[in-house]
Amino acid sequence: MSRRELSLVDGDWLQERLEDPELVICEVDERPLIYRVGHIPGAHCLDWRVDLQDPVARDLPDGDSIARLWQRIGLGEHSTVVLYGDQSNWHACFAYWLFKLYGVEDLRILDGGRQAWVRQGRPLNREAVPESGRAARVPAAIGERYRARWRDVLAAVEHGTQLLDVRTTAEYRGEVLAEAGYADEGAQRSGHIPGALNVPWDIALDEDGLLLDEDQLRVRLAARGVDLEAPAITYCRIGERSAHTWFVLHELLGVEARNYDGSWVEWGSMIGMPIATGEQPG
Amino acid sequence: MSSSARAQPPEDPEHALASIRSELARIRTAAGRIERGLAELEAGAAASVRARPRPARYLQVLVDVYDLGGRHGVSLEEWARIGAARGYERRGLGGFFTGVRAPLRHFEGRVVLTVFGERLVDEYLAELP
Repeated sequence: MSRRELSLVDGDWLQERLEDPELVICEVDERPLIYRVGHIPGAHCLDWRVDLQDPVARDLPDGDSIARLWQRIGLGEHSTVVLYGDQSNWHACFAYWLFKLYGVEDLRILDGGRQAWVRQGRPLNREAVPESGRAARVPAAIGERYRARWRDVLAAVEHGTQLLDVRTTAEYRGEVLAEAGYADEGAQRSGHIPGALNVPWDIALDEDGLLLDEDQLRVRLAARGVDLEAPAITYCRIGERSAHTWFVLHELLGVEARNYDGSWVEWGSMIGMPIATGEQPG
Repeated sequence: MSSSARAQPPEDPEHALASIRSELARIRTAAGRIERGLAELEAGAAASVRARPRPARYLQVLVDVYDLGGRHGVSLEEWARIGAARGYERRGLGGFFTGVRAPLRHFEGRVVLTVFGERLVDEYLAELP
């Protein structure tokens, strides 16, 4: 199977397997309440604010929390997990990245997410999905292979490792702290990490929110100056859009990539961090 | 200190001072206007966004735009289909784009939710059983 087939599925693939007991389907939305409008039959709702974060510290959930989550959704040793969500899978990709950090390999993203499923007129229902009673997989110790911390990023700035800022151009230039509607996600300072290229996450999508094919992805990324043979660290504002680009780079294109989940909210708020503004990487 | 190192005085100190005071007054006026606008926005944000009740189908249209449009909104053709499916005539759809609190706007040939529209969606979803 190709990388793409191992990590990305379409609506036909999923609809044919809705009764598969080894399939664990999870909807991960920016607005979890949209799940109430209707969801893919059997899909569990993961709330990114509750299920995918530590409840107190700004950090990822610990192993015990992940174990409880997997118990709830019935993620067993032989499960295949399919993740999808609104906003072209921002948070679904974050969940994919998180589950991968905890050792799950059989993960798939539904191409186009909720938007594509609804647009294609595929089945939705509003039935509550009960907690799974099956034995859950035990999470591995959280890995750091796909995760970058601020010290890694600082080292990357000093050594010229490829940094990809996947926010909007206005955020990158330092014209705004956050996009409209995300006022609570602003950092203390605006701008970007010196040396970072601006590669907005959505260049990987067509206008219907579906991921481009591999050739198109390579062309678009190269046009933005991305070296697909070199390691990369992605970041955005809180690490969810950059999880999407991480997915594209690492899972679809085989680039050695890490996601900096501290992202701009962390970098732009710490004392003494180097910051560049304007169009140039700096 | 030699005279060559001293900054040259303005040609007309009185005129320069008056000019700076005038500029400062303009800035203060503008700052006041911005502060008032900000206060109004904050007050509006604190109040319910649905001070004026809207019919369910109006809100369902917005949810459809959110659900079908994702991050980039819906095409004009899709927008027309959404409206028709919820019982709106084409002319009636214009109302979604008018006013300070319009829930939708046109952007790069597509129809997208405004921040206010997203808040209406949030309120509608929160009331779903």
